Amino acid sequence: MRFRDKITPEGTKDLLFEECDRRSQATQKLKNLFTMQGYRRIMTPALEYYDVFARAANYLPLDLMYKLTDDKGRLLVLCPDCTIPAARLTATRLKDEPRPLRLYYNHNIYRMEPQLKGKSVEVNQVGVELIGGETLRSDMEVVQLGADCMEAIAGDKYRLELCHIGYFKAIIESLEVEEEIKEKIRSYIEQKNYAALTSILEPYKEYRAARALLKLPRLFGGAEVINKAYRLFDENGAGESLDYLKKVYEYLQSLGLGDKVILDLGLVNLADYYTGIIFRGYFTGIGEQVLSGGRYDNLLGDFGEDSPSVGFGINVDLASRKIKEVSSDKTQILVFAETTDYSAKASAHRKELNRQGIIASNSVLGTKEEVIAYAKAAGIPQIHMVGEEISIWRAEEI
Amino acid sequence: MRLALTKGRLEKNTVEMLEQLGYDCSQVKNKGRRLILPIGDGSIEVVLAKAADVVTYVENGVCDMGVVGKDTIMEKEGTFYEVTDLGFGKCRFALAAKKGTDFYKGYQTRTIASKYVNVAHSYFQEKNMDVNVVKIEGSVELAPILGLADAIVDIVETGSTLKENGLEIIEDVCQVSARLIVNIASMKLRKQEIEAFLDRIEEFVEKKKQEEEKNGI
Repeated sequence: MRFRDKITPEGTKDLLFEECDRRSQATQKLKNLFTMQGYRRIMTPALEYYDVFARAANYLPLDLMYKLTDDKGRLLVLCPDCTIPAARLTATRLKDEPRPLRLYYNHNIYRMEPQLKGKSVEVNQVGVELIGGETLRSDMEVVQLGADCMEAIAGDKYRLELCHIGYFKAIIESLEVEEEIKEKIRSYIEQKNYAALTSILEPYKEYRAARALLKLPRLFGGAEVINKAYRLFDENGAGESLDYLKKVYEYLQSLGLGDKVILDLGLVNLADYYTGIIFRGYFTGIGEQVLSGGRYDNLLGDFGEDSPSVGFGINVDLASRKIKEVSSDKTQILVFAETTDYSAKASAHRKELNRQGIIASNSVLGTKEEVIAYAKAAGIPQIHMVGEEISIWRAEEI
Repeated sequence: MRLALTKGRLEKNTVEMLEQLGYDCSQVKNKGRRLILPIGDGSIEVVLAKAADVVTYVENGVCDMGVVGKDTIMEKEGTFYEVTDLGFGKCRFALAAKKGTDFYKGYQTRTIASKYVNVAHSYFQEKNMDVNVVKIEGSVELAPILGLADAIVDIVETGSTLKENGLEIIEDVCQVSARLIVNIASMKLRKQEIEAFLDRIEEFVEKKKQEEEKNGI
């Protein structure tokens, strides 16, 4: 067997220097937005009991979790999702805190991905959860915060798509077909697969619900979508969902975000998980969603608390790609003590430079020649040689 | 906007379709060795790639759209919108075995040879049958003849290759044809451009279908 001691597992990577800086800039921008609005940080462990996620099997397939066991043989997972641990925490340790509760997190999640597709299995996520509170006001706050996050990272080069899963649920529930077929219909709508959707709905086409489902993949765009959707189907609670969606959309319009937001009633991913609005964010030039969120009123119930919640997560690795400017953190001055007798003096000099905001390092090499050779190789512009006097060597003078 | 095309027959069919829609495809037809070529007024670039790579490029968003066979989509899977059945490149997946054998008789575990291992796997999984799937890269028909496999799952057009090698179709797995796929982010970020393009294609496909039906009657 090959000894893999010089590589990282597929789907993971080392981050170096500028890459780290991009990530911390991206997270810093987002964290500022969160903390200034009263969201408080939580950190949950990378290892969780499998049982925490067991009820989530419908929308978080078991086979994509990394599983391991503890010393008693109990099943653990590498945390595959941020929201579920937050829900666990909320329903237990935070159960006596007043609601609404505003939380944010920033940690890695782990999900297995098929090999050789270029997908990461370790993804750094940052996101918020707003627990409790009136539904509409909470949704307005969190969707707006999502838009603010996108703007903080990429200026106006983003789009946010918005849906209310209640519309789809109202239609599909009024169609009398087996659960298995309902799931197929849902997945065809998710893929905007008109061909397959047409043929699976063919036997039911005299029903209004089926005709509406057939149009669902096409129901995306601006404000006109809601009226179109109304005409297609308004029974069984569908109308109420549309009214609600309209309110959130109009709120975003009033914030001047009308051209950034697309309504897509065919956004039916994770229909078992979400209970109200769903939204996702895209950046120009990145081929997958960067932000994803929505309302999940049933999740806390799994942990024994009946609180409505809404939140979103952002893939920090993707967001970091949009950070253009990287601050230079390379050493500007190397401080060399000519002999170790001058080390204390050199160190005081280095501290003074640091205090002035200059990145300066001690030289740990023994001779002048070695220090100069190193400065040249590493592209360090100055050496301060500390003896009785301090003499300055400058790279540009050679 | 970038449109990835599966090189070969689907490329030809797609170019025909695009020309009938009024896009100038002369550069694609005289491509030489180039792999990225503008069509029409240059607002669309065609990228020529192998079928499986079309899916990869579209999924990762370096191409906004792609034309690829349903066979490749089934084998590769992935996250993208599969918006239109273009109606050309029609064939089917079939299960075939040596002539005269009763494939389903007995309880031994069967060995299935295929280029499309995922398609073969999921087909038998739906039947709740455990099978060994062996990946074959070239002429799959050889595997049952040489005794490596009990049957094959492969693309069949006319069935004459099967016949000439002493194989026969046991059953069809599913129909296959060319599909237009779209990257999920592109659909949201370049909605107008892409929708306008899709509308023209859909109209064309619909017209063609009606013509075919008329001729059929």
